[in-house]
Amino acid sequence: MSNEFQLPTDEIAKKAKEIRKKIIRMNSRAGQGHTGADLSETDILATLFFRILNIRKNNLNDPNRDRFILSKGHGVGGFYCTLAEADYIDESLLMTYLQFDSALPGHPVRQKMPCIELNTGALGHGLSVAVGLALSGKMSKRTFRTFVLTGDGELQEGSVWEAAMSATHFKLDNLIVIVDRNTLQLGDRTENIMALEPLADKWKAFGFDVHATDGNNVVKFTETIEGLDMCNSRPHVVIARTIKGKGVSFIEDKAAWHHKIPTGDQIKQAIEELE
Amino acid sequence: MTEQVRIDHREVMVQCFIRAVQDNVNLVVLVSDSTSTAKIAPFQEKYPDRLINVGIAEQNLVGVAAGLSLGGYVAVTANAACFLVARANEQVKNDVCYSDMNVKLVGLNAGVSYGPLASTHHAIDDISIMRGLGNIIILAPSDPIETERIFDFALRYVGPVYIRMDNAKFPLLHSKDYQFELGKVDVLTCGDDISIFATGSVVHEAYAAAQTLKADSINAEVINVSSIRPVDKKAIFDSIRKTKKVITVEEHSLHGGLGNLVCEIIAEEGLDARIVRLGITQGHFAKAGPREQIRAFYKIDKNGILETARKLLRKG
Repeated sequence: MSNEFQLPTDEIAKKAKEIRKKIIRMNSRAGQGHTGADLSETDILATLFFRILNIRKNNLNDPNRDRFILSKGHGVGGFYCTLAEADYIDESLLMTYLQFDSALPGHPVRQKMPCIELNTGALGHGLSVAVGLALSGKMSKRTFRTFVLTGDGELQEGSVWEAAMSATHFKLDNLIVIVDRNTLQLGDRTENIMALEPLADKWKAFGFDVHATDGNNVVKFTETIEGLDMCNSRPHVVIARTIKGKGVSFIEDKAAWHHKIPTGDQIKQAIEELE
Repeated sequence: MTEQVRIDHREVMVQCFIRAVQDNVNLVVLVSDSTSTAKIAPFQEKYPDRLINVGIAEQNLVGVAAGLSLGGYVAVTANAACFLVARANEQVKNDVCYSDMNVKLVGLNAGVSYGPLASTHHAIDDISIMRGLGNIIILAPSDPIETERIFDFALRYVGPVYIRMDNAKFPLLHSKDYQFELGKVDVLTCGDDISIFATGSVVHEAYAAAQTLKADSINAEVINVSSIRPVDKKAIFDSIRKTKKVITVEEHSLHGGLGNLVCEIIAEEGLDARIVRLGITQGHFAKAGPREQIRAFYKIDKNGILETARKLLRKG
């Protein structure tokens, strides 16, 4: 099994731009959304869905498919737009984002859509479930990989570290944690609210195979993921340094844009910057 | 009276696990350093690869179970009810119920099973908490036979189930051919004078009280509500309409449990009935101490039920 698209990195970068434009348009139309988080994770999602994950439209229920869990459930807007860009969902569905009883609520719901494994939104849940999935793969001798994308503020949840401890204990080298390290959380910088650094050391102390890379650089991110030693008996973490709001100058790296949306001339300017 | 054989419900549960694997149920049992709490050793000896210990980490226990269910397993968690429902509440809500995973949550040593270990270890709010959640079946077996039937059902049912368990040994209330039916009540004795609804191991107390009342020519209808969600509203309604006098018995807070459930039916159906709810005083923690004394204090033992029934019957 392999990825449906297997795009080269320059093509993935183009896809990421298209996804970002979808995010701006979708959030503006909906009048709500976590714009900063959506734009922060875009290059990571584009790389996973257009190259890394071994999924295709006709194998979305295959027990051997790679699994992806969006633990930072508030980044669902970026996720929906990625699924639309990859044609896993109809693009017209994006018009219904956040509407009453829509298939696209403000946090992912697995019953409503393909490619969603877990109903996230409450933080600190994805890694435990990913551990269970990866463990099931080991127990049933399946070769799929489990990817989980966490926010960085989310790592303040104690449950993340319960899960991390167990991932190492169970030797889950089929588990890849990606940390969207944009250094901002709802209220302020992570380091001002509750410091996470030295973050790599924390994961190392928990026994992880630790990597750091540029999460907004498709080439570097791809190299890091594809360079992982998946047979080293250790779970992997990729600390992906990102810029919250990446791609739109007035949104980038501003805590206030956690759940603001562009309005009026801002929409035009954002789209122009992404062309 | 001959001494009846008494069996620990957990031992029955573990045998159900073993039989399920033999029956090709793709079972995995998760514990949180609760191997002794679950009396899981016989299962562990037979199927060591199907037992996962996550250590003292209840949130991870439930999250990992959800993940194993995604990977195609029937995932069962087995730890003390007090820690399951409180510590892992959000994982139960989101990872199991809301995400509709094939996870069975076993709340061991519920109620005041841990008597003298006090309120940190009591689970007198688990029914209430589970009833507050969407998409979960809530069951509470009363005796070893029913425990077996309930586990046989739950391990083959697809979807979230909570099973409220006791830690003591109990005699049989049911015959070998008893069939558990989801969403149905179990009428242990029929009677026209008073309805006694009970759930879990206090069903034994209600049954014993009814036997004594019978000697006084009072016919109590003892109804075991082992299927708390879905609940058999019609059977409860029919019994109350007949007797017009109701006692509910639960080793649980009077908030949100069986007593509340029965009151909802009385109120919504406009039934003309008198009801006394027996359980742990609403808004309080339970007293700590030997379990029999706790039960006596809250009148959820045989004598308390008898006293309550006689008082209620005298009022006419």
